[in-house]
Amino acid sequence: MEAKTGEPLVQLAVLEDVLNLCRANSLWPITFGLACCAIEMMAAGASRFDLDRFGAGVFRPSPRQSDLMIVAGTITKKMAPAVVRLYEQMPAPKWVIAMGNCAISGGPFYYEGQYAIVPGADLIIPVDVYVPGCPPRPEGLIEGILSLEEKIMQRPRLRKFR
Amino acid sequence: MLADTIKKSLTALNLEKVADGDYAKTGYHLEVAAQPDQMPAVAQLFLDQKCYLESLTAVDLVESFLLVYHFASFFELCRTVVHVPLAKGTRMPSITGSYKGADWYEREVYDMFGIGFSGHPNLKRILLPEDADFHPLLKDFVGGK
Amino acid sequence: MMLQRGIEEKTFFLNLGPQHPSTHGVLRVVLEMDGEFIVNSEPDIGYGHRAHEKMAELKTYPQFYPNMGRVDYLHALAYNQCYCMAVEKLLGLAVPERAEFIRVITSELNRLTSHLLWFGAYLMDLGAFTPFLYCFDDREIILDILDRLTGSRLTYCFYRFGGVPADIDDEFISATRGFVQRLRSRWDDYHNLVTKNVIFIERTRDVGIITEAQAIQYGLTGPTLRGSGIPYDIRKSEPYSAYPLFDFIIPTGERGDILDRYMVRLLEMEQSLRIIEQALDKLPTGPIMAEKVPKRLKPAEGEVYTAVETARGEFGIYIVSKGDVKPYRTKLRVPSFANLSILSEIIQETLVADTVAILGSLDVVIPEIDR
Repeated sequence: MEAKTGEPLVQLAVLEDVLNLCRANSLWPITFGLACCAIEMMAAGASRFDLDRFGAGVFRPSPRQSDLMIVAGTITKKMAPAVVRLYEQMPAPKWVIAMGNCAISGGPFYYEGQYAIVPGADLIIPVDVYVPGCPPRPEGLIEGILSLEEKIMQRPRLRKFR
Repeated sequence: MLADTIKKSLTALNLEKVADGDYAKTGYHLEVAAQPDQMPAVAQLFLDQKCYLESLTAVDLVESFLLVYHFASFFELCRTVVHVPLAKGTRMPSITGSYKGADWYEREVYDMFGIGFSGHPNLKRILLPEDADFHPLLKDFVGGK
Repeated sequence: MMLQRGIEEKTFFLNLGPQHPSTHGVLRVVLEMDGEFIVNSEPDIGYGHRAHEKMAELKTYPQFYPNMGRVDYLHALAYNQCYCMAVEKLLGLAVPERAEFIRVITSELNRLTSHLLWFGAYLMDLGAFTPFLYCFDDREIILDILDRLTGSRLTYCFYRFGGVPADIDDEFISATRGFVQRLRSRWDDYHNLVTKNVIFIERTRDVGIITEAQAIQYGLTGPTLRGSGIPYDIRKSEPYSAYPLFDFIIPTGERGDILDRYMVRLLEMEQSLRIIEQALDKLPTGPIMAEKVPKRLKPAEGEVYTAVETARGEFGIYIVSKGDVKPYRTKLRVPSFANLSILSEIIQETLVADTVAILGSLDVVIPEIDR
């Protein structure tokens, strides 16, 4: 029996679509702010930019109860094992958003000879959506979450403001 | 004036240099130079004058180290810098006997430069992982891959 | 030492962090506990170490400047100001008066965002969710004002060596004045919601007391120090920029407990509003950049130490220059490093719930500690 992360063992066609719709509209992120981007993530959860209207406002402290990890901030080499362990503790199906330049590719801290950081979250865990910015505006993070919802539902959202 | 009181008490320790600093240019009111083994006594003197340890750091001068201590006071404006030259490979006496806050500063200097402090209660790395085998702020450290 | 002890029957070890909703960044505190009481503790830092000081040696002065906004991103403008002041001292540049006023106004607005965020996040630690929404609401107005001027919401890189690059206009001034009125009208809300709340008072009165002797031993600064009754504020003790021209007081506490530190921060916010109002009233006309700023910054050989008062305490920069375009050594003296080092002493014999409250009241930002 092949256990591939994110792919269910039993496939039911229409039910999968319904399940994906439910999963996309109630993403529960884990409180995982590492550095500056954490503040913009908090601002996205506050009342002006409100993540709750997308169902994604329930930040859970425990990885066992969440299905979205927003890596917000620089991953240092000391922190990397903890990031991987938290990712492994999340139950499938799970997704990762790399928020901010540090989580995408090391950001402003990457230089030739940098000894302290992991230049990019995708070097240690699989990333689904990249949200660039230093830090990205809360609207950017919301766009990232909506893109993730499109990826989960495998079809575009009903209303697209492009 | 706190600066005069400090200067007077420092004369008893027979230090290399106790001079007025150029505040407008450097931000120091007093500039002091001391030898490593005199440092615990100097630190105790500043604690008796109710000064706090503002900062403790080191500079890698390639052939030797220079430890730099900054002391300031909550009650009267007077910043003192103490320069302590240290030969490479020697250990520095710790001032944690006087200032408990120096604990973390000295651990950071050990972590970044590899300077050992004798008499420190818990000298281990503080910022890098404990199994790291390099001291990053040395001038000949060029970094990882 | 403590981490290598064998297993004792009476006590057990618990990790607080590095991922925990209330550790204000990635901090790990290893707690040795006897039931709910803390017997021993040891903070484990370094999870946010991004090598700022090494980068300072490898980059030129302007190239290193964006790092300053990321050291403490909550009061980034004060860190920008300190770095600019240090380099201006090395170069011997004088900043024009209007630029100093703009620096003070924007830095005080940023101090307000930092204190407001601390207020909301701290109360969330204690379990109250509503104040977080209130203060982020106020904070967003300031962020809009500063965004329009500087281009950033959080990690500013706004001042330049010799002044500021952009001038403030009438819309900035009227928006700021409007905000000052609005925030003043909110103090009653905050006091009614929080300060007079019985649960809050029970959790914070006489908890986490810091004495004057401890403050001197550990080198505490900022509201953490002023809560213990010592009126030390760099803006008054070692005035810089345009602060000598303004009239404001330094609020202090009496007992040194969490409630005093909380009140100090709230009263400081009102003082920041006073400074902003006075600065807007007395704003001079004139240039915003010094006249002769060299294109290639090569300060003379020497060293300099400059300190400013940030929302967390005294931030100092120590630069050793050997006459090159890159500094030889840059040391960032951050307030949270000293403020956090007292943690293991003051959480002895307290409950875990008090530990979280005490840690929050120190107002630490971990990336600044780890640099």
